[in-house]
Amino acid sequence: MKLGSVVGKWLSSMLDRWRRRYGVRRLKESEFAFLYERSEAADGFVCFDCETTGLDPQKDRIITLSAVKIKGNQVLASQALNLTIEQFQPISAESIVVHHIRNQDVQQASERVVNEREAMRRFLHFIGSAPLVGYYLEFDVAMVNQIIEPWLGIKLPNPKIEVSELYYQRRLQEVKHSITQPNIDLSFDVILERLGIPNFGQHDAYSDAIMTALIFLKLQYPRQDSNTVINHLDNAQ
Amino acid sequence: MAIQQQAEFLQHILPFNELTDAERNYLAEQMDVVYFPVGSVMTPNRQESHDLYFIIKGRVAEYQQEQLVANYGVRGFFGEKALLSESSENEGLYFKVVEEAILYRLSGDIFIPFLNEHAAFRHHFEAGIVEKLNAWHRSQQVAASTEVMMDTVCSAPIRPLVEVSEAATLQEVAQALVSNEADACVVKLETPQAQTVEYGLLTSTDLVKIMAQPEMHARFPVKEYVSQPLITVHEFDYLFNALLKLTRYQIDRLVVRSDHGLKGFLTQKDLMGLFANQSGLALLQIEQACSQSELQQVAEHVDELVKNLHHKGIKTHYIAKLVNELHRKLINKLFELVMPEALLDRVALLVMGSEGRSEQVLRTDQDNAILYDHLQPAEIGQLQHAAERFSRAMLAIGFPACPGNIMVSNPMWRASLRDFKNQLKAWFDRPSADSFMNLAIFYDAHTVYGQEGYLQQMRQLLFSRLDDNEMFLRHFAKAALQFETPIGFLGGFISEQQGGSDKIDLKKGGIFPIVHGVRCYALEARLQQTNTHWRIKALMDLNVFDEEFGIELGETLNFFNTLRLQSMLEQKAQGRGEGQLDNKVALQSLSHLQQDLLKQAFAVVDRFKKRLQRHFKLHEVG
Repeated sequence: MKLGSVVGKWLSSMLDRWRRRYGVRRLKESEFAFLYERSEAADGFVCFDCETTGLDPQKDRIITLSAVKIKGNQVLASQALNLTIEQFQPISAESIVVHHIRNQDVQQASERVVNEREAMRRFLHFIGSAPLVGYYLEFDVAMVNQIIEPWLGIKLPNPKIEVSELYYQRRLQEVKHSITQPNIDLSFDVILERLGIPNFGQHDAYSDAIMTALIFLKLQYPRQDSNTVINHLDNAQ
Repeated sequence: MAIQQQAEFLQHILPFNELTDAERNYLAEQMDVVYFPVGSVMTPNRQESHDLYFIIKGRVAEYQQEQLVANYGVRGFFGEKALLSESSENEGLYFKVVEEAILYRLSGDIFIPFLNEHAAFRHHFEAGIVEKLNAWHRSQQVAASTEVMMDTVCSAPIRPLVEVSEAATLQEVAQALVSNEADACVVKLETPQAQTVEYGLLTSTDLVKIMAQPEMHARFPVKEYVSQPLITVHEFDYLFNALLKLTRYQIDRLVVRSDHGLKGFLTQKDLMGLFANQSGLALLQIEQACSQSELQQVAEHVDELVKNLHHKGIKTHYIAKLVNELHRKLINKLFELVMPEALLDRVALLVMGSEGRSEQVLRTDQDNAILYDHLQPAEIGQLQHAAERFSRAMLAIGFPACPGNIMVSNPMWRASLRDFKNQLKAWFDRPSADSFMNLAIFYDAHTVYGQEGYLQQMRQLLFSRLDDNEMFLRHFAKAALQFETPIGFLGGFISEQQGGSDKIDLKKGGIFPIVHGVRCYALEARLQQTNTHWRIKALMDLNVFDEEFGIELGETLNFFNTLRLQSMLEQKAQGRGEGQLDNKVALQSLSHLQQDLLKQAFAVVDRFKKRLQRHFKLHEVG
């Protein structure tokens, strides 16, 4: 048992090191070598979310991207990264319905609009080597990779934490004594509701990133009934 | 676009709604989101920087020196006190998350410079918190005074005893007072029986008065002039009892006694010196109050006092004793304020029900009555107006209206002795649920103002009707069994679902059966006492209850009342008004130990009910 875990640790650290060396070798721009540096100080996480022109990472583009750092029990919303990316094709009607970003909104924001590479440069500097947190993170990561892979030769190397997976595990724990196979709803609004996190309503990248960060934070703590009111008169007795 | 939610959130919070959009957006951009699970504690003093917090979701309680100061809910904000005041004022300040909380945090490093740049906003912001700070200071004063009240008499400065014999002359007494630097002495009186000693009191003021009389001579013996009886307090009694005695008898000093004899004097001046701040003392404020609104403030202080005493773990019947003395003073003063002076001494004001039994801790209702003997028709009209004013004023002070309308504003409870006599007889002759209730409430009556003899007369009549009516008590006692004890066959609770939690009605299940059952025994023994604990004690003295059972019953009642008080304080903290407090306790809010004790308490109630059933042969009455 003990030996196994020692060997396991050694193996994973070897793999880690190999992956890092391999990535750095493929990295075309040395400016971003920090993505592979494990800094001891970076104890936080970064939660991010994109709004896109559609749902196909092959041909759709990122319109806005928001990222927030999570440190301890705090979501550092005041230091959030909010990016709007310039578009060469009109945004599809069906995605406007989802995120409420119209073509004119992107144009109006023109003074803050940046091009794709500049946006990714700022994003990568923001996240550093911190683990990434997201809801259906795979999609957002694919959207980012689609830009950085042809340019830098790498995909995002950061560890990735999927909140819907964390939530699924939590629910599984709760229903483990049930005899029926649980049907766990993983839609974003249901997760918010069940965890008692306020729904900020508007689905923009920034609000979604904050709500996702709160889901992550909440799942770090042992389960508690969201209606529990501890009786503070009790302690005084 | 991104900070819209934060800015909108701020827009709904006073005084942030007074900022311009640009200013609000600036603050909104600086806010972080923080999450705290239940039970987390934030201590501003230990942090490097102080922050302002806004509650998006959850509930947070503010404590200072272990005292609950405030509760914050959604859209509430806190932490500004630590931001804006001296660090010394924030000693022992902390926040406790009572319902898991998601908060916005605005760093003080951002907020303080912002405040300094926006003078108008700063003004509004500070005006709001001055009120908060005042509330806190008041609660601190009350807390400090409360602590003193629960000290024992011997911890107070006690002036040495000066004792003279009854044969001493006035001059000798004066010399004794001067040489001891005292302003009063006790005079030892000779009694026919050599074993017992009697004492009287003589103060320097008395001496001056005596000497002012014509034909007075300093050689006269002092014996003739002493005042009796001596009002004493035991050295191990609570200071609040000493205070109560001083105010009840309206005297300046008490004689402190120990188990072995007299020890010295406790003066009102010395006692007052112990209290951190006299304004914290509701008792004194009542004496000084000269308007209804001032009395209203005092009533609020009394509630604060109750909260403090309860938090310190003082037994509920001690709290009730203190609070009821305060309530009576309050009612007394109010009556003086609204009643025409000419009528004051020609009527009797009675408090009845729980107030009459001295068992009402938080003001839950008012049961009162006025009796009079000979009044002219015009005076009766005056009395009616004053009585209606009185009931309204009581309501304003925070005594909710009695649901059964048992108040002086109701002509039935504002009657001449003759009318009331007929009323009493009618209740006996035509028994009904209402007449039983009226009699029960009336038997608990206590005179708070005016002619004490009226109540005595009526009570004698009540007893004589009982003598003629042997079956009455058996029907009367039946009411004690009307509610089931909420314990199931297997020993579990039978609770009612309400608002998502399991609740137990403490009044129906426990308090009422004990209070009413004891009332029946008390009626049977023709007791004059009204308080349930005193009735139990008297019944123990008469050997109706054996000592073990009497003590158990009293403690059980105490336990129920403590739980009820705790639940009501909690309801109050959640913002329920005086008239909306209920007698229920949520099982979830009780610890396992408390739940066990509650089960045992209900078991005692069940045994008491069986006893009642046997004693009054209740199975025979339908």
